Amino acid sequence: MQQVNRLKPFFENINFEREDNTMVVNFGPQHPSAHGQLRLILELQGEEIVKAVPTIGYLHRGMEKMGENMMYNEFLPTTDRMDYIASTSNNYGFALAVEQLLGIEAPRRAEVIRTMLLELNRIISHLFWLATHALDVGAMSIFLYAFREREFAMDLMEDYCGARLTHSAVRIGGVPLDLPQNWCEDLTKFIGILSEEIDKYEGLLTQNRIWRMRLENVGIITPEMAKSWGCSGVALRGSGFQWDLRKEMPYGIYGELDFDIPYSTSCDSYGRYKCYMQEMRESMKILKQLIPMYKGSEPQLMAHAPEYISAPKEDIMTQNYSLMQHFVLVTQGMRPPKGEVYVATESPKGELGYMIVSDGTPYAYKMKLRAPSFWHTGLLEDLLPGHQLADVVTIIGNLNIVFGEIDR
Amino acid sequence: MAQHKVNYLANGGAPIVLTSIDKFINFGRSNSLWPLTYGLACCAIEMMATGASRYDFDRFGTIFRASPRQADVIVIAGTLTKKHAEFMRRLYDQMPDPKWVISMGSCANTGGMFNTYATVQGADRVVPVDIYLPGCAPRPETLQYALMMLQKKIRREPASKAIQRKRLV
Amino acid sequence: MRAYSPKQDVQKKSYYNDRFHVVPHLPRLNVEADEQFLSDIDVLKQKFTVLEAYIENGHLVVWIPAKENLKAVKFLKEKLAYDMMMELSAIDYIASKGGFDIFYEMLSLSKHKRIRVKCFIEEKEELFSVESVFKMANWSEREMYDMYGVKVKNHHNLKRILMPDDWYDHPLRKTYPLQGDETAAWYEVDKIFGKEARDTIGPEIRDGAAIDRYDTTRFARLGHEVPFGVDITDGKEPEHTPLAYQEEGGVGLFGVRIIKELDENKSVQLKKRR
Repeated sequence: MQQVNRLKPFFENINFEREDNTMVVNFGPQHPSAHGQLRLILELQGEEIVKAVPTIGYLHRGMEKMGENMMYNEFLPTTDRMDYIASTSNNYGFALAVEQLLGIEAPRRAEVIRTMLLELNRIISHLFWLATHALDVGAMSIFLYAFREREFAMDLMEDYCGARLTHSAVRIGGVPLDLPQNWCEDLTKFIGILSEEIDKYEGLLTQNRIWRMRLENVGIITPEMAKSWGCSGVALRGSGFQWDLRKEMPYGIYGELDFDIPYSTSCDSYGRYKCYMQEMRESMKILKQLIPMYKGSEPQLMAHAPEYISAPKEDIMTQNYSLMQHFVLVTQGMRPPKGEVYVATESPKGELGYMIVSDGTPYAYKMKLRAPSFWHTGLLEDLLPGHQLADVVTIIGNLNIVFGEIDR
Repeated sequence: MAQHKVNYLANGGAPIVLTSIDKFINFGRSNSLWPLTYGLACCAIEMMATGASRYDFDRFGTIFRASPRQADVIVIAGTLTKKHAEFMRRLYDQMPDPKWVISMGSCANTGGMFNTYATVQGADRVVPVDIYLPGCAPRPETLQYALMMLQKKIRREPASKAIQRKRLV
Repeated sequence: MRAYSPKQDVQKKSYYNDRFHVVPHLPRLNVEADEQFLSDIDVLKQKFTVLEAYIENGHLVVWIPAKENLKAVKFLKEKLAYDMMMELSAIDYIASKGGFDIFYEMLSLSKHKRIRVKCFIEEKEELFSVESVFKMANWSEREMYDMYGVKVKNHHNLKRILMPDDWYDHPLRKTYPLQGDETAAWYEVDKIFGKEARDTIGPEIRDGAAIDRYDTTRFARLGHEVPFGVDITDGKEPEHTPLAYQEEGGVGLFGVRIIKELDENKSVQLKKRR
């Protein structure tokens, strides 16, 4: 008997010979619009999606295990690589969590500098979101315009900490460096440029017929779905909830700042787009308020807690005991109190949380990183069926997911 | 990086004599290198910034292509994990000759800061790499420099390189 | 004989320990310190067995038996308005307590309060899935299974999510080393090329300070690049390559030069754009 030579299906656990007529498309881990390494296995009935299975894990680097094998200060640059578009927000969340574990507070000037960096990172992240989302939907010139503004913002970050992308700009207990000479003036100039440019982007996109047709009524996240899936950030605010951790459960100096939280009751992509644009303007408002606060603060950059935090560099280089304490803290590590903390901050993507379980040793017992994009990607399983194939790209871009933090 | 048992001096290491046709073909190949959009992690953002307004990548003649069948060079930008390594090799195999590989950033060179169970310690355990590019993340100027080095390398090689067997890894 | 190293917790430990140093505990307050939490705990105590309850860092931490996790979470969502679950995971205490600490981190949007529901399970015990109450548990419980091996009943798709489907062992357990065991070390080589290629490719170099003695010959110095493999150890390098990074001698086609060679000494810096 001659054996028919059948092509064996390559994908595991997917049945190719089916009775119903759906087509299985693999939106593979390498795709220009996948925003990273997302593998979506889509079943299409014609052009409409019947089932979507998102698969992640292609960027899993073992950061949580690294957190159990590294000292707290040593682990800080690793948190940079989680949400690599707005690195300082991850660093700040981690530093805040460890500071709450230790029971110390950063001094005033450090908090002001940190908040400036956070809002600047929020602007950087939203510009990147706009650029890639518009590029995927088809408006390619917005990509170049938004990256041009982003370069100005990254120049500011580079003037401060020396790195464009992976900043590590904050330390546990404060910030390591003071702002350079003309940074505040450069920031004011940048805010001036950016407010005009955002108006131009809105003019190009908001009333654009094609943009509205692509984005309205696409990716509708109902309020129950948003709460059930643990959405946070703009995905939650786009569904009608006025929930922003900076206003509702304030941390740092956000309690003293005056800003509004944009939210949208139309739960579709267009509402989220408008939230993002308005959030950029609110961030600029916050930055304007922070500049005089910086000028009026005393120049102390790191908290004074000799058990956990090293002395300033001038002291280390000249005083003997500061050098000895710094040496012990760097080689052996600081020993925080035993206990568990969960601290959440509002990163540009959503609620970024750090759960640190400490058993008194310099290495954490457990470091759980709560990434907002993890559940936004899981949400795709429920959200995509019913949409057309072209909407997949719109929805993935609109949800603002970053694979560094999904896979950690 | 991998410990290869490959003889690097198989060519003798001496400069190769190139004819005019070789120079012309290499001029064409090096000035229009089409990379594959292969951004994996943070270095992908710097690669996108290189392709954007300030550090224009298009002036080198590069156009980012989405399909590996139409690409010449693959810029591995980001961490290669063990789950993804199989797909990386598959994409590399799907590219037609002549093809080159630029490994961008510490994670692609040697596994980088992620000395863990899930990270491939260097993309050259899986594909043969031509140019290694250090940095975490490397600045866009560094990526441009790497591309210029690759162009220089291409211009030094004989044009019928496709007939030589490419090494496994 | 090599020295015995305990395998129960192979994570990095501090080498020097100060034997007189007593580590403090994070302050735990009584539930009475906050009225909102007090009223919540009173309602909870009527329905479930609360083993322990205290306030730690602004969170109400409630310990319940593992069998009641689904009912407690459902009750908290429906009756006590803790309508979002932010995080759910396990903590590995196999060596010290013989099991895992599972925690559910919940948030109330209306009350602006966070609660952490904790329970303890043995190593091989199975949990009920809370997916019917919160859909986010779908992926969180898969991640918990993938990383720790905690099995969950009534989950429709308990597969590995972050690691490849055929990975061996659960990575976040304390018995798993950071750099992985042998199957992990050769995973990509075995998968792509097969076991025979292990010798060609060689083991992973995990040493951060490794220096290859060929580095001098194989890697370029800025401005002094040489072709691959050329020997420069005795100082005899090829003549200085111009900083212009251009084809030496320009490009010629059948004897006719079509691109001029750039001489950096003759370049002029423009003061104003033309």
